[in-house]
Amino acid sequence: MRLILSFIMLALLAACSQVQPWERGYLAKQEMAWDSDPLERALNDHIFFSKEASSGGNTAAGGGCGCN
Amino acid sequence: MMKRGFLTLGLGLMTSALVGLAHAVEEGDPAPDFSIPSIYADQPAIALADMPGKTVYVDFWASWCAPCLTSLPLYNDLYNKYRDQGLEVVAINVDNPIEDGLDFLLDTPLDFLIPSDPEGDMATQFNVIGMPSSYLIGPDGKVKLVHMGFRPTDMEMIEAAIVANLPD
Repeated sequence: MRLILSFIMLALLAACSQVQPWERGYLAKQEMAWDSDPLERALNDHIFFSKEASSGGNTAAGGGCGCN
Repeated sequence: MMKRGFLTLGLGLMTSALVGLAHAVEEGDPAPDFSIPSIYADQPAIALADMPGKTVYVDFWASWCAPCLTSLPLYNDLYNKYRDQGLEVVAINVDNPIEDGLDFLLDTPLDFLIPSDPEGDMATQFNVIGMPSSYLIGPDGKVKLVHMGFRPTDMEMIEAAIVANLPD
């Protein structure tokens, strides 16, 4: 049992890999986005900002001051 | 049982941390030798061994990397200014698919050598830690300058380093 558990944990760790700097283009691809439909994303953002009275805090660092 | 689990977890994390610690190319190191196909299917492979006694400026770029795209036309001017004095610029494209890089080159013609490294083999060998990264290799085959990131104001420093390392 112990051996199996250890093996499973080891196997799971082996699946972790770092995205190298030169591979970051993959992250910019459309299919890597949470919402791949830009129109749907814009609508969801609009609803979120209206409800939260905040703006710009949904993706990268910063924003959320609701000042625009 | 928990103890064993944590031990395994620890060992696993250590291994993955060590993998990330491969040696990055630094100033003073001998430049890794390379021979990679050109991004243009009709042009020959590009090898460091074919440029003996020249000053070689190696740059890693991709079409999704905005500062890279800013730097390339400026490198083109630099190349045309010093090519007669023994400067070679090798701008290694890491786009995958290659067509992304070729699309950019259609709009921005560049005169220097552009090899293609879609699998990142050369980037791994240089252990590039950020995009763009560039390496100035002197005529003696040693790395003289490692530059990461790019702002147009960096050109002054890069040009000075190139001039200081041009072949006699």
